Amino acid sequence: MVGYIGRRLAQAAVIVAFVAAITFALIHLAPGDPFSAVMDNQNVSETVRQTLRAQYGFDRPLPEQFVRYIGQLAKGDLGWSFSHDRTVLEVLGSALPNTILLMGVALVGSFVLGIFIALIQVAKRGTATDHALSGVTLLLLSMPDFWLAILALLAFTYWLPIFPVGGAVDPVMHEYMGLGARVFDRLRHLVLPAATLTVLAAGVVARYQRGALLDVLPADYIRTARLKGLTEREILRRHALRNALLPIISLIGLSFPALLTGAFFIEKIFAWPGMGLAVLNAIGTRDYPLVVGGVIIGSIMVTLGSLIADLLYAWADPRVRGH
Amino acid sequence: MKRSATLTIDVDHSMTQPLLSIRDLRTYFYTEAGVARSVDGVSFDIGAGETVGIVGESGCGKSVTALSILRLIQPPGRIESGSRIEFEGKDLVTLGDTEMRHVRGNRISMIFQEPMSALNPVFTVGDQVAEVARIHAGLSRRKAWDRAVETLALTGMPAPEERAKQYPHQLSGGMRQRVLIAMALIMKPALVIADEPTTALDVTIQAQILDLLMHLQKEFGTSILMITHDLGVIAETTSRVIVMYAGEIVEEAAVDELFAKPHHPYTEGLMHSMPHIGHDQERLNVIPGTVPAPTNWPQGCRFFDRCPYSWDLPEREHPPLYDVGANHTSRCHLAIEPARRNNPHPPLVVVEGVGAA
Amino acid sequence: MPGQIPESAATSAPRPRESAFAIGLRRILRKPSSRIALVVLVVIVLVGLLAPMIAPYDPAAQPDIVGLKSLPPSLAHPFGTDPYSRDVLSRVIYGARLSLTIGLLATLVSLTLGVAYGAIAGYAGGLVDSVMMRVLDAFLAIPRLLLLLGILVAWPQFSIGALILFLGLTGWFGLSRLVRGQVLALKHAEFVAAAHALGASRRRILARHLLPNLISPIVVAATLGIAHVIVLEAGLSYLGIGAPPPLASWGNIILDGADQVATLWWLSLFPGLFMVLTVMTLNVLGEALRDAYDRR
Repeated sequence: MVGYIGRRLAQAAVIVAFVAAITFALIHLAPGDPFSAVMDNQNVSETVRQTLRAQYGFDRPLPEQFVRYIGQLAKGDLGWSFSHDRTVLEVLGSALPNTILLMGVALVGSFVLGIFIALIQVAKRGTATDHALSGVTLLLLSMPDFWLAILALLAFTYWLPIFPVGGAVDPVMHEYMGLGARVFDRLRHLVLPAATLTVLAAGVVARYQRGALLDVLPADYIRTARLKGLTEREILRRHALRNALLPIISLIGLSFPALLTGAFFIEKIFAWPGMGLAVLNAIGTRDYPLVVGGVIIGSIMVTLGSLIADLLYAWADPRVRGH
Repeated sequence: MKRSATLTIDVDHSMTQPLLSIRDLRTYFYTEAGVARSVDGVSFDIGAGETVGIVGESGCGKSVTALSILRLIQPPGRIESGSRIEFEGKDLVTLGDTEMRHVRGNRISMIFQEPMSALNPVFTVGDQVAEVARIHAGLSRRKAWDRAVETLALTGMPAPEERAKQYPHQLSGGMRQRVLIAMALIMKPALVIADEPTTALDVTIQAQILDLLMHLQKEFGTSILMITHDLGVIAETTSRVIVMYAGEIVEEAAVDELFAKPHHPYTEGLMHSMPHIGHDQERLNVIPGTVPAPTNWPQGCRFFDRCPYSWDLPEREHPPLYDVGANHTSRCHLAIEPARRNNPHPPLVVVEGVGAA
Repeated sequence: MPGQIPESAATSAPRPRESAFAIGLRRILRKPSSRIALVVLVVIVLVGLLAPMIAPYDPAAQPDIVGLKSLPPSLAHPFGTDPYSRDVLSRVIYGARLSLTIGLLATLVSLTLGVAYGAIAGYAGGLVDSVMMRVLDAFLAIPRLLLLLGILVAWPQFSIGALILFLGLTGWFGLSRLVRGQVLALKHAEFVAAAHALGASRRRILARHLLPNLISPIVVAATLGIAHVIVLEAGLSYLGIGAPPPLASWGNIILDGADQVATLWWLSLFPGLFMVLTVMTLNVLGEALRDAYDRR
């Protein structure tokens, strides 16, 4: 087991290194200078320009530039964001926790919701309920993230003004609130973005889980469970689900890219101050270092997610656990 | 031999009532290809403490019979109304779902042939055996676990406390089968149905498992319904044998009688196809032809085209079960025209020029 | 009837082998859900194809800049007008045309790349394969949107052709894995060795054994891929780095109404509905195809 962890970590490191190479290639393949917006901007100080030049070393031979680039990345230096006038790491680092919060809630929520829906579908397989729910999950996974977010915004902040229009906290009052009120304020702002992302992701989970459960049901050990005199519900929950959850663990790793992309759009529409909002705003200002920083951090998150999922699977399946 | 007008099935071996009494069981499968009459009017009894064997080739309906007893037939299969399975004063066919669940694993249990896949891979074997006791005896986890370990010990499992904590993939085939047997016996059921319990196992392990089953039967007085295609297993373990073919019982007799004086041509064929040690045989004897499709049973005798003695009567008339000896029945018109046995001919299947072994 | 003739002994005329495409089509048409999806998709494709003929107005026309600005749906303009005084219905119809075209072309690029990369990696094997797969893993670790952002933000401006190219360049990773897997499996398959032993040339083996096995994953990947690209392009257009205005794309239209989402709700609703409809039908068909080929 330890060997397995070690190997996976090494693999992850290699992947991140390759990602760095890809971003390096992106930076240098762009026509003209992606930093021309910076370089030609008179408001940017000369020191910053010097730093950028030194950092990305456009006058040096490529291999040397690459080595320096990797070196800087390893130290955590992701460059300078001129539109924020701080390092990229600072900007994204302070925004990242909000994104992680959003994604975390949505990850847990979508799996719980998805598994719940799948269980209902399988318990009532073949009935109208099953077909209706299949239609719902199909709709959810076909829905473009940003569109559902817009609809949610329209529905629950404009037409039915239940939730605030955006942001993570009340822009004016938050500092003056007591602890309890502050927690409530944060929660109030979290609900709609998190719920939207959860619902979007739940569709995929429900489909996968339904498939996994149906795959497991004809198994011999399910027949054995019937022989023992268990009710259908107990069989579903105790025997079938445990086995059907195993393939779903892999889904955790696989859903990170989609969750991240969804989070980006949702942050933009709900003005949720996460990494996604920062990166998407950087499009307008052409703050390229910030965008690249986002790509790198995003990829690291995906890689970590996949790693965690693999380790979780190895732990959960007794056949893999080290026997 | 007088021709019986009615079916005679009440082979009463003991003075007391039989433990299980099946009357006219019919289990049909409603498929796109038609209605498959997999079990088509089967009736027999099992007495307390008896080991009864059902032998027949695959597709004859023996496994479906077993599943029907436990009402494990899933759509598109259905136990037809008119079937009766009497057990401990109740008719299992019409019993309510909850009550039926009380019977399964508790009063009647079953062992399958594939220990490999019959155990849930994510639970320890101890858990899986203990689960039966938790459900039916309402035992606490601790007590149920202890009882599971005890039962595993009874099955001859070495180091049962350690083994109980292991997962199915860590055990060998023979050990897994012992786990299944423990699961079947932990509630000391009145009847255990064993469906090909040793087919998937090594020959040496086979012998051990069979010995175990016989030993446990003596210990607990459990009745066993042994379903198999292997005549050797029948000879070793059963006291009474039922031969099934094409969804029906074609012969029933005490085991010694069946081996000494098989009546039905199918039974004869089965006996002859067993290779004998000590005899030199150039090729295995096989009964030519194949079983007809269950969606389309012939009108007359279902063994007609594979039978070496057939004549026009069996083609027209479906034979009932005739008395052919002491507690010996056979579904064959040879009972009333025994002389036909002197004129064997190649089965019609071969005559048509196709379908040789 | 005495003795039924067993099938094996009878001689039956060999059935003409159906192409994989025909098998897929036939199996899909069995399910009612896929039949409906196919019909809907055909309708949408026709709408796109016949856009110039069925759109009531020119999607870029601004006949009355003041009088027709941001009007809610009416008989004259069933989907209303946008802040640039253009008819939204016509723009949505042309949007169908644009989205489907982009989806199709980008997916073609992805398919070509994916098959080529996967086949080379699988065939070469050894170190080359390992390296190629690691590179692939790296690309798969980058969410597609982010990768596109990384590319598109670096380019000051780009044509629709470039957009299609970039979309295609970012969508082949999953398919190449599948293709590589197939090639590897076939490399070691016995019948390939047998064919080799019988003197078949490499090209023949490739054509007769490899390609038929690839058709199913390719068709499935294509169908689902087009759906992804449509959503992705809409998202990029919504962010302002997709289809360049004044081209009508579903994402663009929604962007036009983004500032006043509540008051100009028709700009968000209708394009989205069409998008969802198109993507749903493609997903239904893609899944049905996947099931159909799985049953082999």
